[in-house]
Amino acid sequence: MKKILFVDDEPLGHESLRYALEARGYECVIATDMSSALNALRAQDFSVVVTDIMMPGGADYPSVDSQEVGFHFVEMLREHWPRIPVICLSVIGDQIKIRGLKRKRVQYLRKGEGPLSTAVDVVSRAASGRYSY
Amino acid sequence: MSDLHPDPSSPRDDAADMIERLRAENAELKLELEQTRRTSQRYLQNVAHQLTAPLGAIKWSIEGLKDAEVPMPRKIKLLSSIYSQATILVHLIKNFTLMSNLEADHELGQFRDKPEPVDAFRLAVNLANDFQPQAAETGKKIIVDEISFTIALKSKSVLMVKNLVAQALSNLLENAVKYADFATTISVTAERFVPVADKAPVLGISVMSTGMPITPEEIAELCNRGFRGKAARQRVPAGTGIGLYLAKRVMTLHQGTLVIRAKAKESRFTLVFPLDRLV
Repeated sequence: MKKILFVDDEPLGHESLRYALEARGYECVIATDMSSALNALRAQDFSVVVTDIMMPGGADYPSVDSQEVGFHFVEMLREHWPRIPVICLSVIGDQIKIRGLKRKRVQYLRKGEGPLSTAVDVVSRAASGRYSY
Repeated sequence: MSDLHPDPSSPRDDAADMIERLRAENAELKLELEQTRRTSQRYLQNVAHQLTAPLGAIKWSIEGLKDAEVPMPRKIKLLSSIYSQATILVHLIKNFTLMSNLEADHELGQFRDKPEPVDAFRLAVNLANDFQPQAAETGKKIIVDEISFTIALKSKSVLMVKNLVAQALSNLLENAVKYADFATTISVTAERFVPVADKAPVLGISVMSTGMPITPEEIAELCNRGFRGKAARQRVPAGTGIGLYLAKRVMTLHQGTLVIRAKAKESRFTLVFPLDRLV
């Protein structure tokens, strides 16, 4: 079963997306901060990572500015797990554009924007290696 | 005979000094204006984030309910989440309405609504019940200590503007639910106490929780509009920083105050009423 890692301190924000993906045969794992997300990545293989931008750094990164944690996380993902597709799921779309995450091969979705089915499709495609950004 | 050494304090020099001073003041004002603009821009972004996040979650959850592939137990969970997100949204919008009303009330120096005798224990129980589902999502529980209310109230009601105090107490509960450690208990208690030696005793309604360290310097600033403590920002990145500001304003209008006490990870936020509000 393909695994998807969701990284967000407010899991309710993507609960519907997780349930829709689970109903289609994916296993979803949740991490609520960067530290626990990195631990999960070290311990398990994931087909795709779906991450928020604003979240806590967690036990190993308590001093990283919570407004910036997602950007740091993407940097680390690209350095240590360059092949895993990454999707930013956030409400701060403009900042994501400004920071040029697209150049880091990161796709982004805005929470609640567009139909849920589109978000399910984007994540499923990334998990299956059909990744566009 | 002409003056080869003009007086250093001639009108021309005075004018030059004044122009220099005005230039410096102008530069300072421009800097302040720019800082205010950035602060208000950040604040607006934050507010937009706070409103958009629960609305987005509600929208997708409703679509999830229509998804034929999602099993029924998950749909029931989605319904409960919609309720939680709607509660967050209603609470947030009430805070903004309250902020605008309080500004007007402050200018008038009086309440918009008439104070009425309220059963403070019943009010605390009802509000705790509102936040219980949200607390349960992170294994937390809210307990209202009935015995403490019985002893403190002595069968009396508290004269208050109910919707204002309800919002103040909601703000304390919302913070406790948001910032307390996973699987801890949040307590709501009442007590009569003497806030400062030689002062009259008061009635306090407190919300106590464990999880968020607050420094003495932060306690002094927590009731400023838009201020959020460092640990709070790290744990929950998004927030408006108006909850405690509003709670204190509400209590000031009741001739009371908001008292914040913190030690290590324990914190206690107390709505303080003068005892003559017991009727």
